[in-house]
This record gives sequence, structure tokens and C-alpha cells, in this order.
Amino acid sequence: MHLKYESTLREPLVDGVKDYHKVTEDIIGPIEAKPGKLWYVGFFISLSLLAFGAFSVFWEVYFGIGVWNLNRTIGWGWDITNFVWWVGIGHAGTLISAILLLFRQGWRTGVNRAAEAMTIFAVMCAGQFPIFHMGRVWMAFFVLPYPNTRGPVWVNFNSPLLWDVFAISTYFTVSLLFWYSGLLPDFATVRDRAKTKLRKLLYGIASFGWTGSTKHWQRHEALSLVLAGLSTPLVLSVHTIVSFDFATSVIPGWHTTIFPPYFVAGAIFSGFAMVQTLLIITRKILHLEDYITIGHMEAMNKVIVLTGSIVGCAYLTELFMAWYGAVPYEFDTFYKYRAAGPLGWSYWIMMTCNVITPQVFWFRKMRRNIMVTFIMSIIVNIGMWFERFVIICTSLYRDYLPSSWSYYRPSWPEVGFYLGTFGLFFTCYFLFAKYFPVIAVAEIKHVLKTSGESFKNDMTKYEQESADKFAHDVAHAH
Amino acid sequence: MEQKKYWKGLEELNDTKGHQEIVKNEFQEDLPFAEGESLLNATTPRRDFLKYLGFTTAAATIAASCEIPVKKAIPYVNKPEEITPGVPNYYASTYAIDGEYVPVVVKTREGRPIKIEGNTLSSVTGGSTTARVQGAVLSLYDTARLRYPTINGTETTWAELDKQVSAALNGLGGRPVVVLSSTILSPSTKKLIGEFLSKYPGSRHVTYDAVSYSGMLLANEAAYGKRALPSYHFENAKVVVSLAADFLGTWLSPAEFSKQYGATRKINAEKPEMSKHFHFESMMSLTGANADERYTHKPSETGAVALALYNALSGGTVSGIADKRLAEGIQKAAKALQANQGKALVVAGSNDVNVQLIVNAINNLVGANGTTIDWATTSNYRQGIDSDMAQLVNDLNAGSIGALLINGVNPVYDYFDGKKFVDGLKKAALTITFNDRKDETSELCKYAAPDHHFLESWNDAEGKTGYYSFTQPTIAPLFKTRAFQDSLLVWGGNSTSNWVDYLKGEWMTRLGGQEAWDKALQDGVIEPATAPALAGAAFAGDVAAATAKISSAKKGGKHELVLYEKVAIGNGKMANNPWLQEMPDPITRATWDNYACVSNKLAQQYGMELGDDYEINAGKKVLKIKANGKEIALPLLIVPGMHPDVIAIAVGYGRNKNAGKAAGEVGKNAYPLVSYNGQTFDYFAPDVTVEATGEKYDIGMTQTHNSYEGRPIIKETTLEEFIRHPKAVNEDREELAKYGKDFRADATLYPDYPYPGIKWGMSIDLNTCFGCGACTIACQAENNVSVVGKEEVIKAHEMHWIRIDRYFSGDVDNPEVVFQPMLCQHCDNAPCENVCPVAATMHSSEGINQMAYNRCIGTRYCANNCPYKVRRFNWRDWNGADSFENNLYDVSDMNDNLTRMVLNPDVVVRSRGVMEKCSFCVQRLQDAKLAAKKEGRPVKDGEAKTACQQACAADAIVFGNVNDKESRIARIRNEEQKERLYYVLEEIHTLPSVNYLAKIRNKDAAPKAAAGHHEEAHHG
Repeated sequence: MHLKYESTLREPLVDGVKDYHKVTEDIIGPIEAKPGKLWYVGFFISLSLLAFGAFSVFWEVYFGIGVWNLNRTIGWGWDITNFVWWVGIGHAGTLISAILLLFRQGWRTGVNRAAEAMTIFAVMCAGQFPIFHMGRVWMAFFVLPYPNTRGPVWVNFNSPLLWDVFAISTYFTVSLLFWYSGLLPDFATVRDRAKTKLRKLLYGIASFGWTGSTKHWQRHEALSLVLAGLSTPLVLSVHTIVSFDFATSVIPGWHTTIFPPYFVAGAIFSGFAMVQTLLIITRKILHLEDYITIGHMEAMNKVIVLTGSIVGCAYLTELFMAWYGAVPYEFDTFYKYRAAGPLGWSYWIMMTCNVITPQVFWFRKMRRNIMVTFIMSIIVNIGMWFERFVIICTSLYRDYLPSSWSYYRPSWPEVGFYLGTFGLFFTCYFLFAKYFPVIAVAEIKHVLKTSGESFKNDMTKYEQESADKFAHDVAHAH
Repeated sequence: MEQKKYWKGLEELNDTKGHQEIVKNEFQEDLPFAEGESLLNATTPRRDFLKYLGFTTAAATIAASCEIPVKKAIPYVNKPEEITPGVPNYYASTYAIDGEYVPVVVKTREGRPIKIEGNTLSSVTGGSTTARVQGAVLSLYDTARLRYPTINGTETTWAELDKQVSAALNGLGGRPVVVLSSTILSPSTKKLIGEFLSKYPGSRHVTYDAVSYSGMLLANEAAYGKRALPSYHFENAKVVVSLAADFLGTWLSPAEFSKQYGATRKINAEKPEMSKHFHFESMMSLTGANADERYTHKPSETGAVALALYNALSGGTVSGIADKRLAEGIQKAAKALQANQGKALVVAGSNDVNVQLIVNAINNLVGANGTTIDWATTSNYRQGIDSDMAQLVNDLNAGSIGALLINGVNPVYDYFDGKKFVDGLKKAALTITFNDRKDETSELCKYAAPDHHFLESWNDAEGKTGYYSFTQPTIAPLFKTRAFQDSLLVWGGNSTSNWVDYLKGEWMTRLGGQEAWDKALQDGVIEPATAPALAGAAFAGDVAAATAKISSAKKGGKHELVLYEKVAIGNGKMANNPWLQEMPDPITRATWDNYACVSNKLAQQYGMELGDDYEINAGKKVLKIKANGKEIALPLLIVPGMHPDVIAIAVGYGRNKNAGKAAGEVGKNAYPLVSYNGQTFDYFAPDVTVEATGEKYDIGMTQTHNSYEGRPIIKETTLEEFIRHPKAVNEDREELAKYGKDFRADATLYPDYPYPGIKWGMSIDLNTCFGCGACTIACQAENNVSVVGKEEVIKAHEMHWIRIDRYFSGDVDNPEVVFQPMLCQHCDNAPCENVCPVAATMHSSEGINQMAYNRCIGTRYCANNCPYKVRRFNWRDWNGADSFENNLYDVSDMNDNLTRMVLNPDVVVRSRGVMEKCSFCVQRLQDAKLAAKKEGRPVKDGEAKTACQQACAADAIVFGNVNDKESRIARIRNEEQKERLYYVLEEIHTLPSVNYLAKIRNKDAAPKAAAGHHEEAHHG
């Protein structure tokens, strides 16, 4: 007798009476059916947002960054705020797929596919900003260290912006590989069920000839582990490097050693909030409540309240250091122009959204309330957007020389660019939801018999046995 | 020995056919595909694929790198003898517009004037310039200039014009001819005008100055019997009292006075002496901002203040002054004047004869005549008598004037009763304008005979008696214009002579030969071999009568108005100069507009006050101001230091569309608010009503925050304190010692870079920087700095490489002001350099922070990380230097092919999307180094000058090689100014190459708390 036993005290990861076939039907089914009306509505809204974003970017590239309201004092505004925000969002996916895999957290199976997709799309969105915020974007390839006939002129390895180039591109590559390798068995499942030629062909190509042989599975598992090992440091390093853009500078409010851990915590915080937002909608629309359960949400809400508190702690530490450090410029930045001053409102939005409201998640009832979770996920993402805005703009707008102080409001192409990345994100996500298995079928099947509700109910008889008998039975199974 | 033949292979040994083929075609090598084989099926497709990939990537990269379209330059077919491409020629000339006298040297490149510098051979100005002088070169290329003569607005030929004008002149029927001009400094021109007019009996030359000094001229006539202006010698004054005379900004001859005054403000610990400057005024002027003690009063009290000062000096007490602080100030000023007999000077900006007479009396009392005021050499800076102009307008309206020849004045725009002038103008039989554009007056004249720009002209100028400066063409006339003097010669029937010969003839006789004439043109100036001794004049003014008149003057109402000239725009003649329009006003830091300057208190009554809201919103409430029956609606602008009940408005704005794209319909014309008191023009209104309109109007300001927040970026102290503890002003620098013996090397983990050869450095003296802005415009001209327009200034997109930060401190009604020129500090540990991902900004071995524009991709990270915020990003395509069609952003015709002739070919124009900033005028440094190299010697101190340094009238900027121990910069840093020397934001270890010298105010202020603390530290 071979048995993996999990206590019935633990919440099941898959609700309802399921067998392997049912799982396949539930998850692959929507791919084979025509999408609903809602899908079309959402998809076209996303496409139009994307088009508007493309137009905004065209406008900016054609007429110059001057169509944005950035200025001599505030060189970065919505552009880099959005960049950091999107990169941060991506982090939850990587954390779920890599770190939770290494820590053998079974509950990740329900959410990892969508979360990883979100990572990829978020990083794609994030990447747009540092590219198109360049004054001469057609020279963007200068940031790549390629051999050239100009001397050769090399990139500046001292620049944190260059580190960003490497960090983000590595991150994107590894995340994509990880996501795609996980998709292989599921694509093969779609292929095997395909009733149309085209579907068979396309999913056949996409599944890279997966046959489901033991060797395949063994290599698949090994690759997953290797990629998880590669991704794990990335979860920490990417946002650390992003934070270096600010931390290594001399601007009060940026020049802070606390930034790396604070940024990483913030990234995970916002990433999980985004996963919540997406999955609450996805599970509803695709009827996947059995696979993405309240338990999943509660687990993520726990992460949110933890990271939210870390972030809150960081805010307070910053305030303390601004006072304790006794640097007048830094003191002024934090106490006069960040917590107060013309942009002070943004600081208090950040504080409210990121530190105060997430505290509701100390209550189990709240953690398990879908509506509360959904609203909180939105609030947290607003808060985290403002955190980046506060860091970037409230530090810059009133820095060392008061003669240059200025103010900043975004112009329509800046807002348009941001909306455009939402367009890009949701266009990708809608396509993903339609054509890709949004839940990792193979992985769900892997945990189904230990953590599925109907299987867990069968455990009752074992639990009623004495421990000695159970141990004996297992030891002498053959 | 037998030659052995080695074969390389069996093919060679057997000499197969295939081998013979190969030997024949040495380099034949087919692509390694078998015949009929497709690429993908080739035996080695992977390698080839990589080859092709590599090649195409490389090709695409190369193609992408060559995006700049090639613009062709046409070389000389026959090289003119005096022009070597790439080598500038310099010609001496004179800036003599509206009576301002500034001898200059004009730099031309390939025949185009591109830069104006002061002529150092002139003892009057000593090479100093003002913003307007620096900007004048752009006016040459003004697209709004009249390009040909016109009759009734349509183009004509000079021959036709001459024919008609001559006929018209002959048909005047005995009615007189009047030449109406602003102050003319040229003796030869005046002589010519006299000769021309002598043919028409009863004719006269009327001099009309839009901003008039007739009050002074008449008062001098009354007091000394001379209708003239004396020479002022601020350099001899230990005490200067100015009654609203803005002598550093706009009054008479600011270039000259800034130099003189600057000399008395230089100070070091060994010789801690400086002049003391009292200033009484209604508004906040540039000069007032530089005063040691400044007091405000209403404009209607100007006479009372002068009288009170006179009374206090003549043994009485200060009376008739209600304001306690003001009364004390007058008392203090009187005391200081008394104590410095013979070393004191009082000047007044009022155009009232009586006030000026009292000032003359005061100067007489304090022994200024013959010491700080020289009557031996009088100056000709202003000659207009207001009553002459008023008489002319009356005569015109009476129809008694035959011909009116208008040269360089625009009374329809700037005469207080422009309508009356227009009415009169219509009654003149013949109206001719020589003005350079179809301005408000010219468009009403029948004939337009446009004069040359001064850079295209021959002329002379006598700024002061015996002090001459010459004007010679620096370029052939750009358009079909003709010298005003030539026109007069032609119409006067003197068709054989022309103006050049006339002028030369005049001077050949005086100088005695071609050689002397050539020398005069070369030097530009002729001056007395030894300066005549200063002399006074006997005061014979009727003080009692003046006192009586002042005492009976109208008392002011609740609000009063004062009109003033802005440092950049002046009387409005150069309003179509985009550089000057965009130059931030030294006090308000506003560009492109005029506005109603008000105090914070007055603004509060209309719902605005200094604070965050005021700072972050460009929209300012519009006030409707009524004075003298006229009305003007202007946005208010809060200026600390304004008298609480006074509104100040700048003249020179509100030109009509024809004045040009930059001037047209910018601001409002304030000249109609001037009034005529029967003798002179009054540039104030004692009783105005103010109404809110509920509207808002955007003003583009380059600086919105007024305070330096007590940060140690500005260091200042009082003279008293400086004498007692010279080092106290820099006591916070002692903190740096904690990092080790040498802050530079010890406060960092990284090794220091040595600068073995030249190490450039700059020193800026906050005591002698008066904030006039000449450096900003000089830099703009030298470095092709783009003009962005008001909308972009509002967005804080201005491009100036050197700006002058202006900070107020203390009481908002009586603030102290400090000016701090801020430019790239060329940090040796530059925060901008290490953050650039593509290494587009880096350090030179001479300590210069350089920009490689071609490499810059425009991430703006460097600008963010610059603590001085001196980096300037090309937000838009300001100058057509990028490769996108139709995206040029140019609001002021700066990219017309004509205007672009002003560009300095030594400095590249920057394309949209790249960062730029001060380069320490690296092209000039390179020039100096090359010149020295040719002579095989090191660069000498003073050979390499930055544009800002050269433009500065007060010598506040010193630049040079810090490694040269004998250089001025090295001596300032290591010996002369050790006590005052500091670096801005030194504590963040940026290691700037620009140092500042702390400001010393000659005032007895209450000792600061910090100073008390310092005393303990030193004596404890």
C-alpha cells in the first residue's frame, strides 16, 4: 500500500468530488468552448486601452518627452513609478512558483499558473517604461554592452540603470522559461483532447512533443527544481536592484540603505494583491471556485498582512532615520515635504492603503471574505502605486536647492501610457485565460489525491485507526 | 643549390585540372552549397545562418547609427582675404541704443556677427556689458525687421522713395521739418541732422526718451546752469544713498555703474572694507535688492523722503515722515552721509525736477561734487526734454508741422497720450519712419526708410565729453535698408557724399590721418590721454521753491502705482528679442510677461498669498488697475519687499503683433498710465483703484520658492561680524575636518583622481553678483542655448545653463535678498556621472564634467541625481536638430534661417531627447589651449575666459587654472578669500569645481544666535 496522508484538519486544496478526468474537464473545457460575452467585452476594452496607450507613446516619441509634464527638477514621474509598480507586481508570481515550490507549499498549485502568467505580463508592461521614458528611444540599444566601432564605447557598469537592464531581462527570461516548462504537460493534454486539426497542430507544436513518459516527467521535475533555484534569488535581487536606482543616489529620500528589503517586501505585497484581484475574477468567470478556494485566498492574505507590516515598519524606520540622521535636507524631505507640503496627500494615501487598511487581515473572518479581499487587493495596489510615486516625486520635487523646486501633475500622454500598459496586461491575460490552462492541471492532479476534498474524506477511516496499526500496515504493505 | 619544390597536396603534385583552375582564380571561393541545394538544406546551414545573422545584425546596427541627415555647407569659391573659416574676426563697435553707451567688440565667424563682448579699452565701462547688450546681436537677425523701403506699407525702391520724399519735402510750403529721435550720442549724426534741418527754416530736432530723465536735466540746469548729466563715480563713494535709482539694473548706464559699484563691494579678511548702500524705493528693484539697508515708501512720498534727508543733513530733524522705520532709515542715511563727506553719493530715479533739485542740494551738502560727481566730464546718456515732446505733439495737432521724420522712437506705443500723438501724426503733411520694423508708429507713417541695425552701420558715439566710441559694420546689410544718415544726405540734396565718407571726413580732420582713423576703428574708442581731473560745480538751486512745490504735491490715495523698466526688456524697444523675453527677471524670476507686482499683504486682500498653492500654480489672479483715468488688467505677482500699498508695473510690454513673434501681444502696455505734470513725465500714479476680476492668468516663472530655508547653500554675514570673526561665516566647514585631514581624500572609500596638468575652477563672489542676468544671456549667445517659450517655462522646461537663484530672507515686507549664480559645478565626484547607463557624461582630465550628446539616450537619471539641478533636458525639438519631420517647437522664430545665423558654429545644437548643461565654455578653453600650444607655452591666466565671466560687469566670476599657483583663482582660494570661500553642498562630497565667496552685508544687524554660539566655541 502506498499512501500519502494529509490530516483532515488541513483544509482541502481542491473542493468537491473530483477525479482526474473531472479536473481535466473543468480546466481544459473552457479552452475548447467558445468564450462568453463577458470575455469579448473585456478583451475589446483591453485592446482599445492598448491602442490608446500605443497612441500616447507614439505622441511622446514623436514630439518628445516634453509632452509629459516632467521637468528640470522632476525627471521621473509616472513613467518610473509605473515601472517599479509593474515590476513589483510580477514578484508574487515568482515567489509562488519558486520559493513556495522549494518550501513544498501544496497550495501554490491552484494559483501558480495564473500568477506566473501575471509575472510575465507585468514584466512586459514594466519594461515599456524604462524604454519609452528615454529621450531618444531609437538609441535604446546603447544600453547593451555590444562590441562596436565607436572606440569601442562600453556601457557604464557603475550605473544602477544598467544593472536594471540585466536584472529585468534575466528576470523575464527565467520567468518565461519556468512558466512555459510548467505548461508543457498541460498543452499536451489539450493536444490529446483536441477535436480540430488546427488545435491539434498548434498545441502539438506548443507542447514540444510531450508524451508523458516517465523520463519526461523526471526531467520536467528536475528542470522545475533548477529553475526554482534560479528564480529564488531573483525574487530578492530584481527589486533590490530596482531599489538601487534610488538608494545609490544622493537625493534625500532616495539615499537610503533600507531600500532593498523594503522594496522586496513591497513587491511581494503588491504582487499578491494583484494575484488576488485577478484570481477572484478568474475563478468566478471560469467557474474554478473548487480549485481556487477560500483557503488559497486566506493563505495569500496572510502573506499580504505580513509584507504589509514589513513595509509599514520600513516607513517608520525611514522617518526615524530622517530624524536620527540629523541631515537637514533629509529631515525636511520626510517631515516637511513628504508627510506635509504640496504633495503630502500622496504620502497619506500610501500610509492609509498600505499600512492601516491591511490590518483587517489579522481577522480570519476578513481573510476569508471574498468581497473584503477583493477590495483590499485594489486598495493595496493603489497604495503601492502611491508608494513609488511618493518615493520618486516627493523626493525630487523639493531637494537640495529651493530655487529649483517645482511641482508635477501628469499630462494625458503619461496617463495614456499607463492605461496602455493595463491594456497590454489584460489583452495578454484575456488571451491567456482563453487559450492556456489557467490552472496547472498536472500539478493539481499531483495533489488531488492527498489534498482533494473527496479524497480527504476517505482518510477518516485511517484517522480512526490507532497509530501503531497504521504504521504497521504501511510498513508491511506488500 | 638546387631549388627543391615542395608540393602542398596530391592535387598540386599531380597538377589536376581542378587544381589548375584553383591556381588560376586565386580568390574564387563559392558559397559552400552544392549546386541546386537550397539554403535550408545546405550541408552547413547552421553556421551560415549564424554568419548571415551576424552580418545582418551588424549591418542593421551600422545603418541605425547613421541617422543624422547630412546638411551641406557651401565652401567659399574664392576665400575672402580677411576670413579664415573657423577663425573668428573681431570688430570694435558701440552699443548706443536710446543713449546707453557701451563700447563693445563684436565676434564674427565667416562674416556673421555671433557674439558681443565689452570693449575693455574703454575706461568708461571697462569691458562690462548688460543683458541687453549681450542680446543685441540677436536683434540683428530679427525676422520682424523691415527688409525694404515702403510707401504706404508696400515695397518700393530707394530711388522711388527718394524721388517722392524729395518732392514732398520741397512741397511743404514753409512748414517746418521735425526730426524726432531718442537720445543720439553721435556728434556727427547730430551735425548732419543740423545741416539737414537748416534748409528748412523753423525746423527742429526733438529728442524724446520713452523713459525720460528730463527731471534730472532740468534740475541740473537749475542748480548748476548746465542742462547735462554729470559723470558719476560710485567707486569713490563710501556711502551711496539711492532714492529709487536702479543704477545696477536700468538707471542711465548700468554697465558702467555696476563696475564702479562692484569695486566698492569687493572685500577680503585682510582689508575688510566696503561701501554702505542705503536704498529708498516703493518697489523691489535690482539695486534695492543689493542695498545694505533698504526702506520703502509710497511713490507720492518720494519728494518728502528727499526733503527729509536734506533737512536731516542740513542740521534739522527728519520731519514729515509718518512711517517710523522709514524715518529712522533716513536719519541713519543722513548720519552716514555726514560722516563720509566727500566720499558720499546720492542718486535719485525720480523724473521730478524738484526732487532732483533737492538731491542736487543734498549732494552739494555731502561734498559729492568733484568727488563722486564729476562736472568736468559730463555724460550724454539722456537728452530728451519732456516738454519738447509735449510741445511737438501740440504742434502736430495744430497742424503746424510739415514733415515728421521719426528715427528710433515709437511714440504711438510709448507716449503717455499715444492717441493724441496719432491724431497729430495724421495732420503732418509728410511722415517718414526710419524704424527697423513696422511698429505701432511706423505703420501710421507714409514712408518707411528703414535704418540699418547698428551692427551693419557706421557711426560714432560720444558717451561722455571727450570719450568716443566708434561703430563699424560687422556684416554687409542683410536687407535693403539704408543708414538714416544716408537718407538725410540724399534728401538734403547732398547726393555726391555718403555717410561713410561724411563720418570719415569728420574724423580725418579731427584725428589728422588715415592711420589714426584706422587705429581708432581698431581700438573702437578714443579717450583723453589722461583723464581730466574731477571737478565740481557751484550749486545755485532754489531749494526753498522746490521744497514748497514738493510740499504742495498731491497726496497719495490708498493704493499707488509705480512704473518701472525691467532689466531685460527695458523701455520695450528690444521686446522682440526672445533671449531677453525669456530671461527671468532678476527679482520676480518671471519671463515673457509683465504683471502687477504687489506685496503679500495687498495680494491677501485679493485672495492670494505666498505659500504652496501660490508656488505650484502658474495661474495668478488678474487685477484691474485704474490710474489717471486709464485701466489695465494684469495678473498680480507677489514680490516680497514691495511697499504694502504699492503696485509696480513694468513698461515695455504689450507691443502689437507687428513688433514680432516674441514681443507681439505679450503682456500689456503700461505707458498709458504715465502722466505729464506740465514739466516732466511722472512714472507713478499717486491714486489708483484696484479691483479683482475673478480671472486667472498663467505666468511663467523659473523660480517659485523664495526662501533658501536657512540651508548652508547660501552663506552670509554682516561686515561687523566679519571683521570680528572672519571665519565665523564658514564655521560649519569645520565639521568636515571630522572626516580626516583632507576632506577630499579622506571622506570617501574610493581613490582620488589626480589632475596633473590643467585643473579648471571658478569662483563666484556673492558680494559682487548683483543678479543682473548678463551672464545668462552671454551664455545663451555663446552656447546656442535654446529658447523654449512661456508655456514651456511654466512646465519648468527652460534651458538656461547658468541661472541666478534669488532668495529672500527675513521679514516679508523688508526682506534681505541674495543672488546666487548657479551653473554646473563640474563636481570631481559627480553624482551625474556614475548613474548614466551609457557613460554619456564623464569627467575630463582637466576637471570638466563633459557631455557626449551623441551618446546620450535621455534617461534623465543624471538630472535627477544632480543636487544642483543644473542639467537641462531637451524636452522638445527646440531647434530642428532631430530627425523627425514637423515636430519643431519654436514659439519665437528662433529657427528661421535668418535667426539661425546667430548660432555659434563652435558649439553644436543639441537634439531633442538629450541632456545638456554648462560646459565651462569648453570651446573657448580649447581655443586658448591651442593658441598657447602654437606658441609652445602653457596657457596663461586670463587667456581662457568663460562667456559668463566676460559678461559680468562687476567681475563677480573668476575662472582659471587652479593648478597654476599664480592664477587669480588659485590666489583667491589659497590666500585672499580663505575665510569666505565655500562650496555649495560640499558636505555631500560632490567636490565641486565652482566655489562661492560668502556674502557680507554692511549693516548692523542683531547678532545671530549662531554667532553667539560661535563666540562661546572660540573663547570657551
